[in-house]
Amino acid sequence: MNHRERFLATMSYQPRDRSPLYDFGLWDETPGAWRPQGLPDGIDRSNAARFFGLDAGLGGGEPEGWSGVAGVSLCPGFPTAILDDDGDEYTQRQSDGVIVRKQRSSVSIPMHIGHTLVDRESWAEHYLPRLNPDTAARYPSDDDPQWSRWRNPHRDTPLFAHGGSLFGRLRDWMGLENISMVVYDDPGWFESMVSTKADLIVTVLKRMFDRGVHIDAIGMWEDMCYNAGPLLSPAHFKRFLVPHYRRIAELARAHGCNIIWVDCDGCIDALIPLWLDAGINCMFPIEVGTWSADPITMRKRYGRDLLLMGGFDKRILARDPQAIDHEILRLAPLVEEGGFIPMPDHRVPPDVPLANYIHYTQSARKIWGGGVNLESAPVESIIRARQVTPNPIQRTHP
Amino acid sequence: MKTLEQLTEAVGRGDREAVSSLIESAMMQEIGPKAILDALVAGMDDIGRRFKANEVFVPEVLIAARAMKTAMAKLEPILSEAGIRPAFTAVIGTVEGDLHDIGKNLVAMMWRGANFDVIDLGTNVSAQRFVVAAREHKASIIGLSALLTTTMPAMRQTVQTLREADLNGAKIVIGGAPITQSFADQIGADGFAPDAASAVDKVRQLVGAA
Repeated sequence: MNHRERFLATMSYQPRDRSPLYDFGLWDETPGAWRPQGLPDGIDRSNAARFFGLDAGLGGGEPEGWSGVAGVSLCPGFPTAILDDDGDEYTQRQSDGVIVRKQRSSVSIPMHIGHTLVDRESWAEHYLPRLNPDTAARYPSDDDPQWSRWRNPHRDTPLFAHGGSLFGRLRDWMGLENISMVVYDDPGWFESMVSTKADLIVTVLKRMFDRGVHIDAIGMWEDMCYNAGPLLSPAHFKRFLVPHYRRIAELARAHGCNIIWVDCDGCIDALIPLWLDAGINCMFPIEVGTWSADPITMRKRYGRDLLLMGGFDKRILARDPQAIDHEILRLAPLVEEGGFIPMPDHRVPPDVPLANYIHYTQSARKIWGGGVNLESAPVESIIRARQVTPNPIQRTHP
Repeated sequence: MKTLEQLTEAVGRGDREAVSSLIESAMMQEIGPKAILDALVAGMDDIGRRFKANEVFVPEVLIAARAMKTAMAKLEPILSEAGIRPAFTAVIGTVEGDLHDIGKNLVAMMWRGANFDVIDLGTNVSAQRFVVAAREHKASIIGLSALLTTTMPAMRQTVQTLREADLNGAKIVIGGAPITQSFADQIGADGFAPDAASAVDKVRQLVGAA
């Protein structure tokens, strides 16, 4: 069974040899924190999944998927610039037009301090032209060697397409407080912005389908929930977003793509039934966090219509091997049932010891992966990790 | 009394224009500023209760807070003239190393809606700045926010510094996505609030204003 067959079988509850073994990826700081613990030079977010003996990484750089196919965001982006620099902190205009304050000592979410998108005029002047589906740079060139793989219905790796965002990017571009006011003060404009985003996504995806690309799954991003619920009321979500999600889902299904996931952190409970109703059928990454999301509970509540990816509490990785094994075993029956690909519920932070992460990947292969051996050759440089774990991972540099 | 009830409802639905005209109507009826203020606070309390119950969401809280702000701009001169001041002063900020402010802003809005005098120190606030501001404003409440797990140690350090300073029994309340009651207990905070509306209840409980 190849990687693509395994992914599709898992997400359609069909028999398969084992679960796919994915990872969300690592925080940027994590490889640096792991070097003194034995991580070889040259291993970073881009190749960590292969190094640690997993199928593919969501963290970037994997050639066999998660590549996006075509662009559905701002094109071209805004010119980036450093506007102010105070050493550790600096102010930057990002490619999405947002002015942010960042810290060099941390790569986590920056603080938004200004926005280019503030009203109808700035939308028309700066954003509408960048959301044009006819912009050639959105698409791979005709001589891109990927076309043959993307068009091959028998390729051995799955292909995922960017499905963009209907609300999350607007929230980023305007700021939460401003976009919240627009929902009430100018609902017609809000609807128009959402509709523009959806038109772009539908048009770009349709052009890729029309050119013979076989897309296995579409990945959307919203991040529109916080630790107690959604940032937009379910009533507004249903009124403004659901019709457009449905357009995207119907287009995908008409072309044989039956898996559409949405990447949304926070407490998503209130939105799951609305996403499902609209045809967005896979939740990712099921952040456990302080709101206690649980893929097992979600499956009980929504049944097999709901596909799941993620759901392993990353905080457990920082504890001990026994806690890691306990959680892997707890999730094992759901893995066995299908429609669920387990992985940490977000990127792995630097407070996770390398030995614990190695233990996690070993146990995941053993319990979720049916004992699959994805290793190929020893890596001599994992010296210290070997000293603290009895069965060190053995894996060549990819 | 119908005007005051309408005022409470108008704040709850974030209707700035109605709030503004109802305040004028109440004044024309010679309803006292304290009664008007109480009606406004009742509107914010109601939105807070509905927020906690997941009946309304962040946008509804924001427009209610905006309506409250509009109302207070009209009412504050009259309250001041009548010698009516907020009973409690709160200092709030996001702890050092953390640049996030949405959660902190929501709490500040809700505290203002509850008629606390709120001094917002912004983000990336050092422990010493909290101490200085709490002393300067004679704060009864100090609110610490953190979004990042990586800045939770800074929250711990800030609580310790505040404890070591003599701040006349000011109560320390903490919150933020990674924060739990257990963490609050560990670091010696007086209270933890899981959301902005609960932060009002918690502070009222701590300062005896419930």
